[in-house]
Amino acid sequence: MASTAPLAEQSLDQPLVARPANLWRDTLRNLLGQRSAQAGLVLLGVVLLMAVAAPILATHGETTNMLDAGETRATGAVRNAAPCIHLLGCAASKSQHILGLDSNLRDEYSRVIYASRVSLEVGFFTVGIAIIIGTVLGAIAGYAGGWADNLVMRVMDVLLAFPALVLAIAIVTVLGPSLINAQIAVAIVGIPVYARVMRASVLSIRERDFVTASRALGASSYDILLRRILPNALTPLIVQGTLGIAGAILDVAALSFLGLGSQPPAADWGSMIGDARNVVFVAPWLVLAPGAAIAIMVLGFNLLGDGLRDALDPRLNR
Amino acid sequence: MFTVLGLVLAACGGQGQSTSPSASGAPSVQPSVSSGPFAPMSYPASGPADCKAKGYNGEMKEIKAVDEHTVQFSLCYPDGSFLSKIAFSAFQIQDSQYLQTAMVSHLLLARPVGTGPYMLKEWQRGDHMTLQANPNYWGDKPLVSTVVVKWSSEAAQRLVELQAGTVDGIDNPGTDDFKTIEANPALKLYKRAGLNIAYLGFNNQPKATGFDNSKNPMANEKVRQAIAMGIDRKRIVDNFYPAGSTVADFFTPCEIKYGCVGDKWYGFDAAAAKKMLADAGFPNGFTTKISLRDVVRGYLPDPKSVAQEIQSQLKNNLGITTTIDVQESGAYLDNASAGKLTGLYLLGWGADYPDQTDFVDYHFGQGASDQFGAKFPDLVAAIQKGAQSADDAVRTSAYTEVNKLIKQHVPMIPLAHGASATAFKADVSGAYAAPLTDERFAVMKPASGDQLTFMQNAEPISLYCGDETDGETLRLCEQINQGLYTYKVGGTDAVPDLATECTPSSDQLTWTCKLRQNVKFSNGSSFDANDVVTSYALEWDTKHPLHIGRTAAFDYWKGLFGNFLNPAPPA
Repeated sequence: MASTAPLAEQSLDQPLVARPANLWRDTLRNLLGQRSAQAGLVLLGVVLLMAVAAPILATHGETTNMLDAGETRATGAVRNAAPCIHLLGCAASKSQHILGLDSNLRDEYSRVIYASRVSLEVGFFTVGIAIIIGTVLGAIAGYAGGWADNLVMRVMDVLLAFPALVLAIAIVTVLGPSLINAQIAVAIVGIPVYARVMRASVLSIRERDFVTASRALGASSYDILLRRILPNALTPLIVQGTLGIAGAILDVAALSFLGLGSQPPAADWGSMIGDARNVVFVAPWLVLAPGAAIAIMVLGFNLLGDGLRDALDPRLNR
Repeated sequence: MFTVLGLVLAACGGQGQSTSPSASGAPSVQPSVSSGPFAPMSYPASGPADCKAKGYNGEMKEIKAVDEHTVQFSLCYPDGSFLSKIAFSAFQIQDSQYLQTAMVSHLLLARPVGTGPYMLKEWQRGDHMTLQANPNYWGDKPLVSTVVVKWSSEAAQRLVELQAGTVDGIDNPGTDDFKTIEANPALKLYKRAGLNIAYLGFNNQPKATGFDNSKNPMANEKVRQAIAMGIDRKRIVDNFYPAGSTVADFFTPCEIKYGCVGDKWYGFDAAAAKKMLADAGFPNGFTTKISLRDVVRGYLPDPKSVAQEIQSQLKNNLGITTTIDVQESGAYLDNASAGKLTGLYLLGWGADYPDQTDFVDYHFGQGASDQFGAKFPDLVAAIQKGAQSADDAVRTSAYTEVNKLIKQHVPMIPLAHGASATAFKADVSGAYAAPLTDERFAVMKPASGDQLTFMQNAEPISLYCGDETDGETLRLCEQINQGLYTYKVGGTDAVPDLATECTPSSDQLTWTCKLRQNVKFSNGSSFDANDVVTSYALEWDTKHPLHIGRTAAFDYWKGLFGNFLNPAPPA
């Protein structure tokens, strides 16, 4: 990969430990200088704040039925109740729910807040698993070559041949519907992308002089892979991973929408949309609120991913 | 020729393809003109079944064709509900000659031949079904010659199609959409009384799968009673059911005779329930699951929300932790009747015919499936006593006992009698909502044109209703096939259909049915007494060569007539 060439040359004549720190500092500076990355970081900051401060931000419990929280029909506790904001003229006798109530008389706003935790976890977990497995497989394929390369990459081709969501649905059907199984399914579906990126990097890097030098010095294959090749192959993986988080969140939300992911009564944006789909004309806010939340989060990761790609591209170094 | 077609169908699995007949539109079956004089059949051919025989406890003794237009049913015990039973869709009359080939090849499931006002023109699997007027129909010509039936499990989609005018009528608009429809002058809502029951079932088998052996908490009657007391059913009905629905004080709705005699269901008392559960050995509750199918029925307008409500009530009131298990509709029903659902499950029942036997016999009687696990002998005996009498006082006391025992044993918890509705364009004349959900399209007519399009909840499973239990399937059979009796359009009374009259003997043990003459099936063959004998016998006798159906379960026969002839030995 051409983009890693300058770094590789630098690595030859200078101590390895010092350079990456500079790389990250440069990257961060480049990143913060970009409009789209700034926007992405702000959006993700909002989501992160929602997730971390959920118990403070939420006005009610994630699964609390308002009838159990002391409200009654008279105070507006009916299913799919419209948003009631006192500042905007909602009668004081009604209790305040800024996004209304869902079909089980739970506070929609609080559920949207709590569900950010699920989506963040889902994004990092699925992509984490996919990157780890994909990296190992790609490294083996690229470094070993020959029949091992053929075997691994043909299996990846088979995985890639299926439409991602269809494959994920098939896997969840076998494993049984649950959030963790949905994450495993989406992670499996994501593996080939990372395996391919890793293999390509390994193929280009293993022929470099500094790798040959290490080998001449008697380094084992394991050392070469871990110390020489992996650090240099990391940048494309990071970019791919950040963009992949957005895709993974969407995929898991789709599975949850279909009832194959997050299980009730847990709050999850995908399943909240799924549960409210039949009241979309009566209570559109129940679909719009979690939908907007998914959009914000996915947009955030996409903008950040684009920014990272530009920031990590040495040819764009300013 | 049909054998060939059948083979082709069987080879293709009958899946994903249109089973459109030849271009003429009419099923091209050779008219089965009987050669020679009519040879009356009787079943069993070897003579009446032995009512006292060990292993046979069914109601039917013999079915006999007396002459071409007279059939005689001999019973083992009197049956006050006989007419209501034979009016039901599961006991419709098929053409005996067509059955010989079509039942074996399974073609019958996709290409019915009937005497009803409509016949099947095309069934595009997964999309729609087209019915066209049966030219051989003996009664009043249907008001529209073509009926298209579509389906969608999504209440929102059904409403959108109705609003957009792509369909003329829909079944079961969503609870929240009632107001929208009533506010729209172009649409009309027809409310349907809650002649049904939604219940929370248990599997009481001690070794029910999913639990350690002998550790199924639901095997303990006290646990079931505690749960019965610990669920606030009024809160469920108030919040999740449309107006007009009622909390179920008995399993059977009160509109049905003998339905609610005796003690009412437990009142809600969380503290007492919690204590009872502790006394039964579960002070901290236990973990189990709530199974459901995510399809809307009149008795359960929003299954997932109700399930989550019960989940939260079980947690808060009794400390019972549950997960929710959503299953595919067909598999769910099969699992239920095979007793494979563990923990708690949400299901319901719509009246097929307005009689107590349709509710308690089918669920708790001797012929009931394994859906609640082991049967309760005293309950079975009480149900039998009620069903086998035509005397009012005897039946009242028997059903009082039945209701008392249901309350004591808690095989399930009755939740609600759910009101539902149909909605049609305002210009559809004759539109209505049938209390038994068997709306007849033949009496409806849209102002524009000669075609009626109706959208229901689900695709029919097959078009042979002897072996089906799903209401969405039965509705279609009602358009195509007919029984000896039927239910009055828009009502619940049994009125003659293919029979002109069925009369009991003085001891109530023999029913003689005079059949309508000059009736032809849609394939041209004429209807006679042997068709009746064959249609009933194949359901009755497990050894009958045509006892095939779709799954050979024939749940309704077993539930309503007690047992099969030659019942399978208990596994």
